[in-house]
Amino acid sequence: MGKINYEPRIHAVNDILSAFLLISVPGLPLLLAFPALHRRLPWPGLIALLPATILLFISADIFIELPWMLLGGGLGIDSVSRWWLAMAVVTWAAVAAFLHVPGGRGACNRLATLFLLTMAGQMGAILATDMVSFFTFMTLMGYAFIGLLVADGDERVRRAGRVYLVLLIFADIALLEALLVAAASTNDLGFAVAAGAMTLSPFSVLYLSMAIAGFALKTGVWPLHVWLPLAYGSARPPVALLLWGVPVATGLFGAVRWLPLGEITAPIPGMLLQAVGAVGILYATLFGLMRAQWIQLPAYVAIIATGMFAMGLGAGLRDPSVWNQYGDSAPVFVVLVGLGLAIMVVGLAWLEASGRIPSGFRKTAGAALWLERWVAAVVRWGCWLGISILPGLRALWLVKWGRLWKTSVWQRAFNAGEHFLQRWVFAITLFLLLGMTFVVLLLLDAMSFL
Amino acid sequence: MSWDTALPLLIVVSSLIPGLIIFFLAEKQVAARITLNMLGVLVKLALAGVMLWGVFHGHHYEVRLPLLPGLDLVLRADRLSMLFVTLSTGLWFVTTVYAIGYLEDSPHRSRFFGFFSLCVTATVGLALAGNLLTFLLFYELLTLVTYPLIVHRGTEAARLAGRNYLIYTVGGGALLLLATVWLYTLTGTLEFTARGFLSGLDAVHHPALVVIFVLLIAGLGVKAALIPFHGWLPQAMVAPAPVSALLHAVAVVKAGAFGIVRVIYDVYGVEFAASLGVTLPLAILASVTIIYGSLRALFQDDLKRRLAFSTISQVSYIVLGVAVAGPMATIGGLVHLVHQGVQKITLFFCAGNLAETLGIHKISEMNGVGRRMPWTMAAFTVGAFGMIGAPPLAGFISKWYLGLGALDADQSWVLIILVGSSLLNAAYLLPILYTAWFKAPPASWPAERFFGRYETAWALLAPPVVTALLTLVLGLLAFAPFSPLEWARLITSREFTP
Repeated sequence: MGKINYEPRIHAVNDILSAFLLISVPGLPLLLAFPALHRRLPWPGLIALLPATILLFISADIFIELPWMLLGGGLGIDSVSRWWLAMAVVTWAAVAAFLHVPGGRGACNRLATLFLLTMAGQMGAILATDMVSFFTFMTLMGYAFIGLLVADGDERVRRAGRVYLVLLIFADIALLEALLVAAASTNDLGFAVAAGAMTLSPFSVLYLSMAIAGFALKTGVWPLHVWLPLAYGSARPPVALLLWGVPVATGLFGAVRWLPLGEITAPIPGMLLQAVGAVGILYATLFGLMRAQWIQLPAYVAIIATGMFAMGLGAGLRDPSVWNQYGDSAPVFVVLVGLGLAIMVVGLAWLEASGRIPSGFRKTAGAALWLERWVAAVVRWGCWLGISILPGLRALWLVKWGRLWKTSVWQRAFNAGEHFLQRWVFAITLFLLLGMTFVVLLLLDAMSFL
Repeated sequence: MSWDTALPLLIVVSSLIPGLIIFFLAEKQVAARITLNMLGVLVKLALAGVMLWGVFHGHHYEVRLPLLPGLDLVLRADRLSMLFVTLSTGLWFVTTVYAIGYLEDSPHRSRFFGFFSLCVTATVGLALAGNLLTFLLFYELLTLVTYPLIVHRGTEAARLAGRNYLIYTVGGGALLLLATVWLYTLTGTLEFTARGFLSGLDAVHHPALVVIFVLLIAGLGVKAALIPFHGWLPQAMVAPAPVSALLHAVAVVKAGAFGIVRVIYDVYGVEFAASLGVTLPLAILASVTIIYGSLRALFQDDLKRRLAFSTISQVSYIVLGVAVAGPMATIGGLVHLVHQGVQKITLFFCAGNLAETLGIHKISEMNGVGRRMPWTMAAFTVGAFGMIGAPPLAGFISKWYLGLGALDADQSWVLIILVGSSLLNAAYLLPILYTAWFKAPPASWPAERFFGRYETAWALLAPPVVTALLTLVLGLLAFAPFSPLEWARLITSREFTP
């Protein structure tokens, strides 16, 4: 009897298990996000982490293709994503243990749903092997995280959420533009190919600009950091633990994946990133660490860390050899900062609870952002000089534009226009069209005589 | 008569006959009316499925009935017509279920469902129209049978909205008639032909063709709610929610947009239209409509009115896609015909649920409504994110292809429009979600009704949940066989393959 070759079967089983495991990492939290399911489980947050934890213990790099998903995508894990996944698992496990989620069938489980949706989004983004899948999961993560941040929160935390929401929308638009530009340049949007292909594309500058802007908005790099101090100052400690580990760290991961680091020499964007990073560090050190309240300190540490990361990315864009030599330390940096910030958040919460530092965020609900303060100062300066072309302009309008639109003359003007259109313009347009027809007929008639 | 000639007729008649019978039913004959409605829906769905399968495999379904000397009433199934037939038939099914639940205790249900069936008959008829004359006939029929639905409630506001609708659409029909007659005198034919039938015409007629194009677009633009012909649509939102769904997603505005696609591709031909220089102004008009509709939506506190302005904006994506005149943008425009319909119908169903269950009509009344009606608001959330274009929902696929098409056709300015519009979509839809999910609910709702086990009647709850799921599936499985995206790619391959 011949010896049976089991190797193909083992490979097939191995492939099926790999696919199942990779899909379960974002899939299980997504499934458990349904209230009907997670309400029946004792620790849904921790159960949802099981596939990710198992995946961490598999040392090999594994990948699967999902051609049926969206525009075609894939999931996988490699040496870079393993670091981020490890940090995500530890962070989520810690938060799942501390975040109080109301239990029982009748309880309002928005928090659990949003928690699990955010987790699914982050896990999927970390495992994504192509730009579209990454963008999809990151979008899910971003919007669900805003919900998690503001759910059951007070006005201060809702304000932080609103500011982050505006930045997030702009970030998504910028990243979508970058995606479209990439898709117009290459058919393969997999990370292994796309970033490299962009180095040869005539749109590389546009792609780099959009990707950098998008991830700067997502991660809160100075001067787009405004939401971070607000969020750290008002979020509950378990949610504050997630601020670095979820939106910021995943944004930094995205920047590493999307930018053609080590493959392209882009001195101007590189220099710009380094400058922004340096100014951010300086700003956070001088204005943040010196003047911020205790509870906001982690935010400024995060701004310093993202500034340092931006400087590293800038160095990598200026000189690819720098990234090739030191790029591997990027995940270690992010994990170490995450660990430090987690200790800081927990420590501050403990100090606050024991009354050793002032409790809470002192500023009022309507605390103005730097942008609002600067615009207000410019307006005051203009008034002082006697320039009153914008009487009554208040800087807060820049943020509360919705109210401006609701109450301004624009609305009345548009309404009047609509009314007029309904009554007259249809008739006028009809008349003009008939007139045009008549003129053209006359012209045609005249031409036939020539 | 063979099966291939009978099928187009059967698919039109499958809703016509039940509709006509329903008119004669008494108000109390609820079971008979529901049975007839559902029978018509299911038969039409089955026939549409058979026809879709046949067209995919190259079957030719066509019927010609002599109408005027030299002019036939032609019903023909091609790839483009099947996109619209499937959309309108599929959404008619969910809308019928919804309407049965919505109008449970209302008067004049037989009248309503009679015209409701005639409405889908006209829509399917114009989708299958094989020439401009047939299209015109069903287009006008659609105008006439939707009017009683808009004025169904009989209020002063409804009558005013109906009158405006009639003025606009009959005017639009007159322009269309004028253009059709003129076109016939120039060419002697009105048959829809792949890549158009006008390119061979003498250059001396080109100025006239430009004017005819303007007349056609103006006539069709009324139903597609292109500015400045959009005024009727926000007013018509006084109609019951199923009618709003019909106007915004299934029939009326889609008929206008579909007509514009037909004119550009099967009357003029995209290359000839571009050579006449008419596509760029159309793209600009569509862009202006997109931004204007979104800006106007921002101001509205009335939920249905905000959604109506959103429709004005969103339907113009279809026009923009075909006017950009490239394969990718065309795919984006065509697929948006379906995707916008599914998403917008979800939003209108949800708005109807809020009104029927809690008496909520305004966004300012929606504080914390997500806690009271989580399924409805979850469906609304999916629909809203789809409209914004968030992945992996259906709207993302449309915007993806429109954006790629703009780059492909070297018309990068379209990207700016898409970006601006997406920002505005987020600005007018996300505050609704924020209000519903994160603000504290009031002590009592304006007019709360209880429906037992579920948050509202199951017939009202199931349709938006189904269409929300469809929004997800159409995005996530965009490349599945028979998906709207794959179908749009099939249609486009005909137009652009050398």
